[in-house]
Amino acid sequence: MNLPFIDWIWHVQGRLALPCGQSSDDALDRLTSLFGQDGTSHQRTGASLSFQKKNQAAQDRLSVFDRGDLRIETRMDGSALHYRLTSRALLFCFLAPFLFLCIAQLTIAVNKLDKPKLEPLKAIPVVQMNPIDKALGAPVPDPEPSSDAERLLKAEEKKPTSTAAYFFAGIFALLYVVGRILEDRLVKGLFRKHLLGSV
Amino acid sequence: MDGVLVGKRVIGTQSPVTIGWDNIPKVQGGPVKQFIFTWFQPTMLFVLVAFWYYAPNAIAKTSIALWVGFGFRMMLLCLEWVNPRYASWRLTWKELATDLFYVGLAYTLLHVIDHYIGSDAFADAVGHYFHQDKFAWFMGLPLLAQALLIVVIFDFGQYWMHRGMHSWYPLWLPHSVHHYITQLNMNKGAVGNPVELFLIGLGIGGFFDFLPRAFLIAGAFSMATGVYQHINVRFNSPRWWRFLFNTTEHHSLHHSLDFEATRSNFASSLIVIDRIFGTCVDGEAELLGMEGGRRMSIREQMTHPFTEGWKAMRGLAPATVSESSVSGKMS
Repeated sequence: MNLPFIDWIWHVQGRLALPCGQSSDDALDRLTSLFGQDGTSHQRTGASLSFQKKNQAAQDRLSVFDRGDLRIETRMDGSALHYRLTSRALLFCFLAPFLFLCIAQLTIAVNKLDKPKLEPLKAIPVVQMNPIDKALGAPVPDPEPSSDAERLLKAEEKKPTSTAAYFFAGIFALLYVVGRILEDRLVKGLFRKHLLGSV
Repeated sequence: MDGVLVGKRVIGTQSPVTIGWDNIPKVQGGPVKQFIFTWFQPTMLFVLVAFWYYAPNAIAKTSIALWVGFGFRMMLLCLEWVNPRYASWRLTWKELATDLFYVGLAYTLLHVIDHYIGSDAFADAVGHYFHQDKFAWFMGLPLLAQALLIVVIFDFGQYWMHRGMHSWYPLWLPHSVHHYITQLNMNKGAVGNPVELFLIGLGIGGFFDFLPRAFLIAGAFSMATGVYQHINVRFNSPRWWRFLFNTTEHHSLHHSLDFEATRSNFASSLIVIDRIFGTCVDGEAELLGMEGGRRMSIREQMTHPFTEGWKAMRGLAPATVSESSVSGKMS
């Protein structure tokens, strides 16, 4: 499926110039070691390499990507690695805020339907603070609410609120921005290190 | 692998484990670092309990407790970067995003479900059968004694629920998903199938909310002792601490790739309950998970208990908690 205007959400692509004199075979040989992880398969065809990952381990340095294509292009000004990687994790993180916004709306709707009912007021035993707590200076507890208004307020306070859902929607929006920038840089750095042979 | 004889069981025949406190690596570094990573856990327990003991009534609320818990967890996340236990457990962006999804579900959707049909509803229903007169003796105890009793009662229930999950196949199905984690990080405790998270949340802890301050102190106590189950920080926990409380070491063994090791250390906060019932093993493991350490996707984590349950009903998979059901191979 070709979605050119939105597929940047879950795709990372880039270009890296190969070191002077490095052949396409040598470059792909150096990168192949990255695809020897459990759950990863890869195929090489000429100056291209494609890979797929399934249930990749957390420790896999490319775990955020599920598949990708790498190819070496040679021009007059030198050779370069071009890559395009697909990440379901990035897409999931992009969509997660919408899920939590839906949960927030669901919480609000359920709360509207739930009208707290006041039960007959029970006689609450008056319990003195333990002398040890008095001696240690613990605060004296507030009296239990006695009026209907206070009891209703207390019952309302016990209901789940939508604040947490909005909070997590914000967290995931932030996490997506961080991940989209960070994973782009990390994978570029990883490919560069392997091409330079510093790994 | 030969494994190590622990009581009548041989542990570590399928995957490497370290048994015995003397064999576990210690915190490396200067005296300040050694001091911090020896006394951090007891100090934080004391600070958190003291905070809730003395907090004015206007502050001693569940909403504030959530923010205190959040701040404490942020601090622990920083410690994971400063002094990790294993490099292979290092938190990555993808792991953080995955873990936070489950944490988010727990604080939002599961919280709503718990309120209406889960632990809160259960606690309310039980509460209606009792008159508070019957608890006057309990309410007259010192606050710290009330809190400790709540922790012990809650943890005792958690121990048997967890042990049941490792012994009875219908309960193992939802819990097995949690055992596919391949590293321990701050938020890994929340990772699992929502059915399991609902079941493990069932308890009578919420019943004690008529004792708001003792309830908050008990919550702080449980957090300050139980949070270290899933964390990637190396501590030199004092001897008395690791005798009483669950530690990363204990819980890493529980998550080991070795089947026999997973059948130990069931308690949530109080490992001393495992010692009483003979299921405690002191040690640690680095290689974690199931089926050779296969990572399970979120989609599979959501469906696994149902698909495996269906297979078991049709006789295509063993309906017992055994080595074959853990390794994923048919015996």
